Amino acid sequence: MFTVRVVPSDRQDTRPNTPPTSRGWALVVVGAVAGIVAHASYAQPAGQAQQQDVQSRIDDLEARMDELESTAVLSEPETRVRRIEVWVDENGTQYDQEMPGTELVVTYQRERVYRRQLVNEKIEAAIDDAASNSVEVGVDAAITLQHALQDSGPESIADGNTYQLASADLFFTAGIAQYTVFFADIVGLSGTPPDAEIQGLNLLNGYTARLVNQNELTLREAWLMTELLDQKLLLTAGRVDLTAFFDHNAVANDESSQFLSDPLVNNPMLGLSENGAGLAAVFDPRNGFSAKFGYQQSSSSATNLSDSLFYLAEVSQLFNPFGLGEGNYRVWYRKDNSSGVDRTGIGVSIDQRVSPGVVLFARYGTAEADTPDDDRFYSAGLELHNALTFNPDDYWGMGVARTELGTDDQELLLESYYKFQMTEKLTMTVHLTHVTEEPVGAEETSYFVPGLRVQASF
Amino acid sequence: MHTRSKYFGSATVVAVLSLCAVGGAPQAQQMQMRMPAANAASGEIKIPDPTKVVLIVNRDSNDISFMDIDTYEMIGSVFLGNNVNPHMAMMSPDGRYVVTGGTSSNKAYIIDVPTLTLLKVINVDFAPEHLAFSPDGRYYYQGNPSGDSISVIDMVTQTEIRRITGLVEPLNITFTPDGTKAYVGNYGAHWVGVIDVTRHELLKKIQVGEVPEISRLDPDRYLGEIHGISNASISNDGRYIYAADGDLGIVAVIDTRDDRVIETIRVGADPWRAFMSHDGRYAVTINNGDETVSFIDTTTNELAAQLAAGPDMTGVNFAAGKAFVISATSSFLYVYDMDNLTPAGRIKIGDQLQLETATTDTADQKLFLASSTDHSIYVIDGATEAVTQVANVGLYPWGTHIMDSRDNYCH
Repeated sequence: MFTVRVVPSDRQDTRPNTPPTSRGWALVVVGAVAGIVAHASYAQPAGQAQQQDVQSRIDDLEARMDELESTAVLSEPETRVRRIEVWVDENGTQYDQEMPGTELVVTYQRERVYRRQLVNEKIEAAIDDAASNSVEVGVDAAITLQHALQDSGPESIADGNTYQLASADLFFTAGIAQYTVFFADIVGLSGTPPDAEIQGLNLLNGYTARLVNQNELTLREAWLMTELLDQKLLLTAGRVDLTAFFDHNAVANDESSQFLSDPLVNNPMLGLSENGAGLAAVFDPRNGFSAKFGYQQSSSSATNLSDSLFYLAEVSQLFNPFGLGEGNYRVWYRKDNSSGVDRTGIGVSIDQRVSPGVVLFARYGTAEADTPDDDRFYSAGLELHNALTFNPDDYWGMGVARTELGTDDQELLLESYYKFQMTEKLTMTVHLTHVTEEPVGAEETSYFVPGLRVQASF
Repeated sequence: MHTRSKYFGSATVVAVLSLCAVGGAPQAQQMQMRMPAANAASGEIKIPDPTKVVLIVNRDSNDISFMDIDTYEMIGSVFLGNNVNPHMAMMSPDGRYVVTGGTSSNKAYIIDVPTLTLLKVINVDFAPEHLAFSPDGRYYYQGNPSGDSISVIDMVTQTEIRRITGLVEPLNITFTPDGTKAYVGNYGAHWVGVIDVTRHELLKKIQVGEVPEISRLDPDRYLGEIHGISNASISNDGRYIYAADGDLGIVAVIDTRDDRVIETIRVGADPWRAFMSHDGRYAVTINNGDETVSFIDTTTNELAAQLAAGPDMTGVNFAAGKAFVISATSSFLYVYDMDNLTPAGRIKIGDQLQLETATTDTADQKLFLASSTDHSIYVIDGATEAVTQVANVGLYPWGTHIMDSRDNYCH
């Protein structure tokens, strides 16, 4: 229900709000001083107290003058454009009130107000205006350094090797219409991730998923997003990354600030291997419930939109069970034809705050495979804030992920990390990962992979 | 109740500036300042019951307007002068006066409520903004953030009797219920000032938290614009102060008995201030750094929940068992269920609006929200979430105030 009451303009305070000019102010001050001095002369017999009073007033006026000269912008009244409703008749005559034979029309009109602004307020407003009308550029650069120490299994080339991967994302964001945004992410990677030599079921460095060709810039995402239905429905279309919309998790969902290993970033049962053309629709009335639907092509060699197409749907609900704190519970369903036949998968992603500084997470997923048995995935862990940290903004986490393929190949991965928030724009994270690969028909192999990630975002 | 004799007693007619018979508008302004005493003495009673009006601070029409709380009819307004740009207004505890500070005029204004006349204009320090009355109504503390001071106005003599200096961008003042002390949030520092109200002196500086050692690596953040303490929010029983510090991302709990920090609670990034729920159970901070809202359980002084919200949040109002968080630039009110601390939707007020702050009525049923760019007040029913627009209340309404409301605040 939305009703409007309009106070008639004739009932408003319409007293003139005349802007003083610089000259006017000067005249006033001079006049005031003259008047006070004249009054002082006239009232001299009244004694010293009156003189002090006059002197005090002169001091006040001088202070005011100093302030006006030093801080105030007096030249122009403030102007802004306002959206207004007027009534227009068939001859085009415009009225402020409804008249017989008129129609309500929306138009725009400048208005003046008399608000004295400081110089810095003027500058800030100009900067904000310039920023809102330009393309925003962001940079997210990371360098990851990892070392492999094999602790079981047959000798491998990875043992004792060090790996370094550098990644730089350039983000471009521009508002192009009301509630409509264009976004593009161009990424360049260079280096040698451990995943080239440690052939695990999942990536040990989440950034590796972005590496298409060395030293080349690639368009990772480019989409338009608009909000409809009182901004409850969000539509995104273009080259998208559906993992940004589905399988969210508050504490295990970002290789740039949380876990580095890919299975602790996204559920591998989602099956998305690369970004592509697609669409995501998110219905979020901000009452704790949300529903999502999306499709995305996940193959750069596809020749039409029907090829290698993933459909995803998800519902999520925020609970506060037993007053523990907020917890997000999500269930998603996936269907795709990337293997030539339709396959489905389903998964769960949960994060639950259990105390002011501790958030637990868990994921589960299962997906159809070419084998009689389905692939399965489980992960769990926690993130800690405000406990055993060097600096207030630091945090750390621990997680475990288990992948079991229908072929009986298995992987167990454990990772812990500590993130130092060096500055607002710079972080350094120390990682320690242990991964055990259990391939069918081959000996179990495991590695310790200590790592360091330096991240700059601005 | 008000008697006319009181108005005669407080009226002051000064004719000094009438000798300054030059200039244009400023002269008219000064004349208007000095003349209302006669109006107050002989004027008709326009507001017989101060609890039945909503004050509206119109920054750009330079007036305080008064709206009937039930019919939403505009009763009248008091023009303060050109380029005054009032920031916040408050009614005295007895409902007799309304006071406001003119940010651009460096003056404090005292308005006679029943007759809607301007009684007194008092010079204060630079850029007066937020203010508070002592519980007995004797003193009106006017914060002057740009002057780093508080002007103490004696409401009996209606003069500035003292200027408390040594503060650092004092944004808000909070009196204890017994009126012996006042706590000052210094937005330009990381300490809360304690003022002895009997002597009007700064007694103590309470550091709310230590700036981390690693801050040396981040001069842009820590040596740039400081986001210190906006407000010292007091618990319902007056025992504790909850002081949020923006740069430190914390809320410090201060025991008012001995004025020391007993607990430090980490909340979201860049908390603006804590708003106390009406039952006193939660202190709610709006964190503009990460666009979240933190709910602190005041019984345990622990974070109970931290939920997503919107951009540029300016305040929180409580009504009908819900918290309404104002997101200034998104034109939304984000709603939270206070029983189970979960999101309960959001209310779209309009398109391209700049929402400011709101006041809740004393029945905790309706919110009166100032919307500056369309010169309107939006009345929101807390239970049904129905919205009623009252247009043309004055230019650029910056805030509202209702006598005895528990959600009187500014930004």
